Order: sequence, then C-alpha cells, then structure tokens
Amino acid sequence: MRNAGIAAITLLLAGLLIWVTFYWNPASRERVHQALNIASAPKGGDFELTSYKGPISLKQLRGKVVALYFGYTQCPDICPTSLGYLSLALSQLSPGELAEFQGLFVSVDPKRDSLQRLKDYGEYFHPAILGITGSVDEIDDVVKKYGAAYQVTQSNSQMGYIVDHSADTYLIDRQGKLRTVLPHGTAPADVLAEIRKLLNKE
Amino acid sequence: MKKVFFSLLTASIVLVNGFALAGSAADEVTVSDAYARAVPPGQPNSASFMLLSNGSAAGHAVVAAQSSVSRVTELHTHTMSEGMMKMRQVEKIEIPANGTTKLEPGGLHVMLIGLTQDLKPGDELSLTLTFEDGSSSRILVPVRMLQMMMKQDIGGAGHGKMNH
Repeated sequence: MRNAGIAAITLLLAGLLIWVTFYWNPASRERVHQALNIASAPKGGDFELTSYKGPISLKQLRGKVVALYFGYTQCPDICPTSLGYLSLALSQLSPGELAEFQGLFVSVDPKRDSLQRLKDYGEYFHPAILGITGSVDEIDDVVKKYGAAYQVTQSNSQMGYIVDHSADTYLIDRQGKLRTVLPHGTAPADVLAEIRKLLNKE
Repeated sequence: MKKVFFSLLTASIVLVNGFALAGSAADEVTVSDAYARAVPPGQPNSASFMLLSNGSAAGHAVVAAQSSVSRVTELHTHTMSEGMMKMRQVEKIEIPANGTTKLEPGGLHVMLIGLTQDLKPGDELSLTLTFEDGSSSRILVPVRMLQMMMKQDIGGAGHGKMNH
C-alpha cells in the first residue's frame, strides 16, 4: 500500500516535470506579441504612399538613392534627432549628388499628420526629405516589408496617445533594393558615408 | 555701516536664489548645459535637455516642471524595447547623492506639450523645476537646433562620434 502511494507520487511528479519542461512557458504571450510587431528580416520592396503632390511610389524613384524613415511629427525627440542627423549628412552632398537622392519620412500617425503638415515637417529638416503617409493598411504593408515597427499607445500624458516606433533608417539603392539599415543614433558622418557608398554605385 | 552692508548682502542672496533656501534640493542641485530643441513651425511639442548635478550627500529628485512656452510640461523618458523607441511619462527624475543625471536626446527629457509659440534657434524660454521637497529653481533655457550644434562634427567624415 505504502509502495503504491510512493509510486503514485513519483508518477505525478514525473508528469509535472515533463509538463514544466515541455509545455509551461510563462513568456509565450510576450513572444507572440513581439512576433506581431517585428518582422523577422527586413526584405524591403516596392510600395506606394501619398505625399502633398499626390501618390508616390518607390518605383518612381528608380535611379535615386532613397532613405526611408518611419515616425510621426508630434514626436518630440527621436524623429527630430534622426531627421536632424540625416539633414546634416545631406548638407554635405553636392547639388549633383542631391539630385540623385530622396529622403522619405513615413508618418505612422495618419490621424494627426496631414499631407501639408508632412510637407512642412520634412522640408524643415531638408528640402530633399518628403513627408508621406497612407491608410493604416498601406502603412502596415510598408512597415512589414522593411522590418520596422510601431504601435499606438494610450498614455496619461497630456500629449494624448503616443506612438512607439522603430527608429532605424533604411537606405535603398538605385534599383529599389534595401541595402543598409542604420540604427537610431548613427552619427551624421556615418550616415553620409553610407549614402555616398550607394550614390557611387550604378 | 557694516550691519547695513550685511543685510543688503543677505537680501541680494535671497533675491538671487528665489525660492531656493540653503539646504533645499533646489539649492543643492545645479542645472547646466540646458537647451530646448528648436521645432518646425506649428509643431505642438518639444523637449528640453540638461545636466543635473547634485553636490550634496542626500539624493534629490525633480518631480515637476513648468515652462513659459507650453500649456503642459511633463517629465518623460525613452526606452528601447521590442525594436521600438517607447516614450513614457515618469513621476520623477532622480539625481543621486554626489552624482549627476543627464537629460539627453533618446533618454530622459523635460517634455514641452502644447507649445504656445514656435521655438526658433536663438529664442529663450523660462523653465521652473520643482524638487521633491517643494523647492524650485527657475532657469533660462536657450533654444537650439541639433543640426547646428553638431555642425562641427561632420567637417571631416569619420569624426562624427556621438554617445547615446
């Protein structure tokens, strides 16, 4: 009788051990959450969004080197830093080089960012930076292609909702291929060097 | 005569320090290198950065801020998680005993929400920081454009080192 009891407890513990080892995963919820937000590897690809001038597609920009960035104009720090660094890099390009370059600032906050506002915002940093946006579906498509991420977050701040977003800059070559991902905070001199690398390629 | 001189001196010290009485947090925390970020016309929000130095043996904290150019002023920070920069409001910004806390792009900042005027380089705004003991410091903060501040860094490629 006593042996049978021990055997039962042993079996129970063994079962529990197996369950813990193979099935219990307290972090799994979070992982699912992450997987939804971050695409595995950025592949890039064509897209079409809208600027104050009308539709703008990556195909239209073949022959130019493109820098792509995702953000929103109410962003007080991260976006102005990224665009500020980019503009500093662009200030070193010759007019000839600039003619072969296009910066695209994609707003992931189409609710608050009008096309006119995006025009002014981009040009404030550099005339070669165009502010564009689209419907949520269109934006999500580009975000996914480039491995970017964003999420609208409600906050207690008087700012209203906040938009969390990735802060990398994507450099696309003259053939429309994603070539370089520059992490947030990449120094202007390095941004310049990477853009020039692509400008020097056919 | 000597007495009059001292009372004048005392009066001027009190005037200069404003609310900051000796021993208060406002007295022990010094603010340096403060600036606010210039923003495009019509932009509703900006941020101010600075170095807070605490020369005392007790820890202090900024718990609130007010500015002359925004409807609301809050304390915020940034963290990078899930590949995203996440900005969040914080209750306070601590300055450790005999230590410093840096408010800088990509991290802690004083958030100016609902700007009542455009912030152009060369402008100046007034910022009041309130500390945990209720004392406060009023500072004048110049408006700067990041690009201009870093212009010298890009003169020769490869020297654009920037810590974050």
